[in-house]
Amino acid sequence: MIELNFIQQRTGVYRVTILCLLPVCLCFWKGSANGQGTILSKSNEVDSGEELNSQIFNFFPRAKNSELVKRFCGDCHQNGSDEGGISLDSLMDIEFQKGVRILNQIEQQLYLGLMPPSDHAQPNEFEREQLTNWVRDNLDQFNASTLDGKLSQPEYGNYLDHDKLFSGSYAELKGYTKDRRWLISEYIFNAKINRILNHRPFQTIDGKREFVIGENNRRVPITNPFLLSPSTGVRYYANATLNAGHLLTMMANAKEMASHMTYLVKRDRRYLPAVAEIMNQEWIDEKTLLTREEFLNQHIEKILLDLYGESHEELLPTFRPSPASEPQPDSDASVKKAAFHAANPGMAELILIFQTMQRLKEDAQSDEELLRNCERSWFNFGDEQRQIEARITFLRNYLPEFRQQIETHRYAQKYKQRPYQPRDAEEMQEITETIKRHRKAGDHFITIIESCLKDWRNQFEKIRSENDTLERQALATLVTELFQKIYERNPTADETQSYVSLTEGYFSSMPKLDAIHQLIQTLILRSEFVYRGEFGSGEADPFGRKRMSPREASFAISYALTDSSPDQELKDAAENGRLHSRDDYRREIERMLNRRDQYYVIDEAVQGLQHTASITNLPIRKLRFFREFFGYPNLLSIFKDNKIFVCHYDNSNGRLVGEADRWVEHILKADRDVFEQLLGSNHFYVYHSGDNLAMTEASDRIRRIYDYFNPLDWRSFEKEDLLKHKDFLAQVKMRGVDVNQLTPSGRRNPIREFKTAMESFSLRFDKGQTAAAPYVSFPAHGPYNASTRTGLQLRSPEVAKFFNIQLDDWDYPTNQPAAVKNRRGMLTHPAWLIAHSKNTETDPIARGKWIREKLLAGTVPDLPITVDAVLPEDHHRTLRERLDDKTSEAYCWKCHQKMNPLGLPFEIYDDFGRFRSEESLEHPENLISKGPEKAPVHVDLRDIYKTRPIHAAGHLEGTRDSNLDGPVADALDLVERISGSEIARQSIIRHAFRYFLGRNETLADSKTLIDADKAYIENGGSFDAVIISLLTSDSFIYRKAIQ
Amino acid sequence: MNSRREFLKAAAIGTGSFGMNPIASELTSAYADATTNATSIPHRFIFVRKSNGIRPNELALPSFSEKEKASDRRKEVLEVDLENHDLPSWLSVLNPHKGNLGILQGLSCKMSENGHYSYSSVMGAFKSGRNSLSGIKRATIDFELARLNPSPFGHVELSLTGNYSNFRTGIVPGYSAPAAHQRNYCYADPETAYNELFKSILDPKSIDSENQMLNFLEQEESFKASQLAGYERLKLSNHVASLDSIKQRNLDVASFADLIREHLPNLDPVHADGGVNASTPEKQKAMTEILIAALATGLTNVVTYTIDELSTPIRGLPGNESDRISIHELGHNGGYSGVSAEDIREKIRIGHLEQIEHIANRLKKIPEGEGSMFDHTMIFYFPENGETHHSHGTEAPFVVLAGDACPVNIAGRYLRLPYHGTEGHQTLGNWYTTLLNAHGNPIDHYGDLDLEMSRKKLAQTGSIPQLLS
Repeated sequence: MIELNFIQQRTGVYRVTILCLLPVCLCFWKGSANGQGTILSKSNEVDSGEELNSQIFNFFPRAKNSELVKRFCGDCHQNGSDEGGISLDSLMDIEFQKGVRILNQIEQQLYLGLMPPSDHAQPNEFEREQLTNWVRDNLDQFNASTLDGKLSQPEYGNYLDHDKLFSGSYAELKGYTKDRRWLISEYIFNAKINRILNHRPFQTIDGKREFVIGENNRRVPITNPFLLSPSTGVRYYANATLNAGHLLTMMANAKEMASHMTYLVKRDRRYLPAVAEIMNQEWIDEKTLLTREEFLNQHIEKILLDLYGESHEELLPTFRPSPASEPQPDSDASVKKAAFHAANPGMAELILIFQTMQRLKEDAQSDEELLRNCERSWFNFGDEQRQIEARITFLRNYLPEFRQQIETHRYAQKYKQRPYQPRDAEEMQEITETIKRHRKAGDHFITIIESCLKDWRNQFEKIRSENDTLERQALATLVTELFQKIYERNPTADETQSYVSLTEGYFSSMPKLDAIHQLIQTLILRSEFVYRGEFGSGEADPFGRKRMSPREASFAISYALTDSSPDQELKDAAENGRLHSRDDYRREIERMLNRRDQYYVIDEAVQGLQHTASITNLPIRKLRFFREFFGYPNLLSIFKDNKIFVCHYDNSNGRLVGEADRWVEHILKADRDVFEQLLGSNHFYVYHSGDNLAMTEASDRIRRIYDYFNPLDWRSFEKEDLLKHKDFLAQVKMRGVDVNQLTPSGRRNPIREFKTAMESFSLRFDKGQTAAAPYVSFPAHGPYNASTRTGLQLRSPEVAKFFNIQLDDWDYPTNQPAAVKNRRGMLTHPAWLIAHSKNTETDPIARGKWIREKLLAGTVPDLPITVDAVLPEDHHRTLRERLDDKTSEAYCWKCHQKMNPLGLPFEIYDDFGRFRSEESLEHPENLISKGPEKAPVHVDLRDIYKTRPIHAAGHLEGTRDSNLDGPVADALDLVERISGSEIARQSIIRHAFRYFLGRNETLADSKTLIDADKAYIENGGSFDAVIISLLTSDSFIYRKAIQ
Repeated sequence: MNSRREFLKAAAIGTGSFGMNPIASELTSAYADATTNATSIPHRFIFVRKSNGIRPNELALPSFSEKEKASDRRKEVLEVDLENHDLPSWLSVLNPHKGNLGILQGLSCKMSENGHYSYSSVMGAFKSGRNSLSGIKRATIDFELARLNPSPFGHVELSLTGNYSNFRTGIVPGYSAPAAHQRNYCYADPETAYNELFKSILDPKSIDSENQMLNFLEQEESFKASQLAGYERLKLSNHVASLDSIKQRNLDVASFADLIREHLPNLDPVHADGGVNASTPEKQKAMTEILIAALATGLTNVVTYTIDELSTPIRGLPGNESDRISIHELGHNGGYSGVSAEDIREKIRIGHLEQIEHIANRLKKIPEGEGSMFDHTMIFYFPENGETHHSHGTEAPFVVLAGDACPVNIAGRYLRLPYHGTEGHQTLGNWYTTLLNAHGNPIDHYGDLDLEMSRKKLAQTGSIPQLLS
């Protein structure tokens, strides 16, 4: 313990010797990455120079003479040996920066157990500590160690020994998290922007209009600069820092936000009353101008007529008719023209044209006269000549169609022109006198209006400048309101003083509105906007730890479970002294976990594909943990050959991810044996909305139609035959079969649609299938398909093909999740399998690495840069055979033995996630027969190639359970063993810790992890229990200052 | 983190900047390096994206022999010297630049989005899952080339797009991508582009007030940082360094004031307030002038210009001056005022090429080194979505103008490469790899691979040998 504390004091983490020594030797020194993190001196720089050089030189001569070094490093790096180009003999005159780099690499190799190589004599734990500390001491002279930074990265989390962590030997250590600023995530950024800009989108979910969080289709063009890496595992860590790229983007965002925020004040002064107060007179004047402008735009002709009487006509501009050309008729006198919708000038123009026509229409007037009058009216007003020409051209080409539109869309009711109603006497006097001052002969109306507006604007500005005073108190209120709006807190006294002074400077150098915009931008560009602060407050406990302040705790809890700032209950708890004890935390966390009245968009990208309903009412971060842990959404960046998929792959990838999400949500809602279910259940959603009742009804409807018509000779039906079944058709409704059009005079003959649907239904019942999937026919769009929970058409039944389901031979399970053959858990779900494959082949290495790291708490070294990772082509052999060849050499196998035996069992699935027993050797030389290029969706398009049998045997090692470790037959065998294992459970809990705490665990978090594990077991496999345990742990509650 | 420059280098790419101009910080830092070491003339690239496809037969040369015509029609490998041939009538506006002209046929773009739109994917050679941010897989080719040829603005994107009835205005999401999962912003109307690009002389006060704000923030954050230690200090130090770098960039841009004054174009008043009444050709002309000035001033070396997309309203087209034409409708063969879709499509293309010809012409008149600015310039005119209105991506023709000092051997050649899915076929990825290799990025292959080529086990990585010889 003394030793551990000693180490912790210097590094902030407990150093634990890694026993799994990896077969990589000093040759890595030369090529490995420099590491990321804190290469810092007190001035944040590592300086070079004579003085420093002389210090670093001291290390290498001493190293050369050290007994430990001689014993464990000498073979490879001394006395003429220079493995990896590193010889201690040649490091005597090395320059400073290079020396630091090599020392850092030595420290990392020692700490990570990568050196000495496993086939050499190994130092014991104490000796390794000695070596590591020696190197560290040298680096610490310059604050130049990069190890801590590296170990804080998510991919190094597993380097902390799992057995020690859960052994209980370290449970008495006091958990805490260091004081920190945590850069906001892309999700928090969006939620924050949406909150500030009052963006509250709705969706119809299960027939009800619901407010959703996570839909970011804002009108304001805001760019999210805080994008997380697409890697699997835990993506959001507290060690990211803002950079110039972020800030550049934030500058642009701040400008957009500032103008939108003042726009919101204009709409509702309660949004920021201080802004409304400061802008009050200016906006009153603006409104007056706008009202006058609207009044004049609508009624100027009437006003001028009233003012000028008979002389009005003389003052009008001289009319110049439009040169718009006549349509050019074809040889058959017809005129080529586009459809109405493709030629109309837009709704605003259509309304204006309609209103002008309404105003000018007269009895017995020809179309030509009407057009001429309209044109003259627009001309007099002063509309742009081209605009007039476009209107006239449009009317010449489309007048009948437009009239039809006017009638169909009830323009007369919807777009009535306001009748002339004079303003009050004083206002009318002002208007008319100004007009009289400005109107000149030949002026278009718009010229008169603009002159008047300019005149009034100047008057208003003059009056305002004479009366303009701005009290310091008004600015203080402005600063306070903006702090509340942007940071959800009041400014401190110092902040108020500082920002009021700044704001005074802004107001003195620019117009008021610009000054307010600049102040808003300033606040948005502060570090507080982009970092979440988590610092302890109050008295430190005997271990130097402080609890987070209630306000910080409220944000920490809220951001742990959602992307939003605290809800009202949590805010109240923080403000009223009810967020201090562990029980307080528990109460609020349980409340939030049980909350089901808030919907979230799970993934906007998925939502945009195939109309997938990507929504949940679970706290979003709970579901997102498993999305990121499994990484199945990454399939969206993989693309595939349609011919091999036998369908349009891009038409179904979004649905596949959406249904995987729904399945995870289903398991999380049940909250029983969550990990075991996720890893071992063979029940899945396949082309299903999640609403069993709706799916049953939709499927039954198809059955009814099929049963009704099947005994009849429907293939010979004509339109008249359908008429005989009008009542039935009216009940069941079929796409394209409008019973009102079945009469002999009906314009559309629905027989084709009827037969297409019946062909499709027959295919899906004529083999005795029990139920049909609820779509009409291909393409599976249109009404009377089943609906998603958001009311859109349930598209893409092709998703079934990933599960080896033949669309024309499917006993569709209306109640889902339902059993699917040859599947067990997420690792056999096509979404996971595709996400861990390449565009054209499977990826056993990626799959094996994932299992090693995510379920077995193991580690796999980075790929050495000297390795050629390309698999050789050989079209006579399976991918496994080629991989075995490539990785069986001792040098490769040392790492690949950790991955290949775990990944190769998944070769029972192809790169689309389809189960298989043979691998197709796709190469022109192996072609047996070509498949069709195009065919109905149930026909296999694939070319037939020679095949070789799949060999899916593998080996499980690393469960720490001799009953589980050993040879495995295939992926189903493998996941069955892993799914209920202790190591998988604890490994997931370690990842959950990292996800909810935003950092890697240390031995001081041992108790937190053991408690979370216990909570899971004692609560029947509840993930909620894990979350509650983690978020009420010392590791979460306590903060400790950085020394 | 040794210096501001190193900090910037380490920074991720971002968008938005000086008056919301889409600059990546990485580009800015690269520029900082370049200015200290600059001795050579930068290469310049202009990508002109058009919608509705370019049908390969539209590029077939009218003076082809019968044999060549047949070969071209059958999509067989073909190369002819443009010097000995006439250009199709719609391309004839480029006759004065025939020696610099290249027509590249036979590329495929199936690894990007096809159909109506390709969004960002056509310039990144990836499937994008329609227009989703998460679908952007990598920096697009224009940004990659901008990295190799740094400038104060790094990269400029312009677009003339709309909602069928009206043009978009202001600063709007663009199609280029500075990095994976990042979308660039672009100027959607000439007035905005003009005001933002040349702000340093048009509105120097706004720069002053921005610097005032940055100074305040820098002081405040520096004070906070001074109270901290370790990694937390680094976080705030990075914030301070970021503020400082933006101030520095403002200074850099301000130093271009004289050049900007020299090349500042005149903007017709019709473009005021977003140019509601400006015709499509007027907008194109104004954008072209701004594009030329942006290059001539040295503010950028790379411009991507979406000259139209399907929803761009076409107004004021010669012969259909008062029609409001939908490009989408043209794709479905809809004519206007008696003029056929074919004729209108051709007129639109001619309008595009007139702009390109004007750019080439102007750049040829600006002296640089021992020649002109055009010498180091490549202009690409290409369909954003492949070969037609509803494209499958089997063909993606490119019309290229390349200056004499350009290292890609395309000038003066009509080159038809092997057809998609056959031995020797080249994809958009190969084409972009060629551009990168030729200009100093030795990347093995840029972009995703074609699945049909993969299925057929045909080689498809690397540059196009015919163009680097």
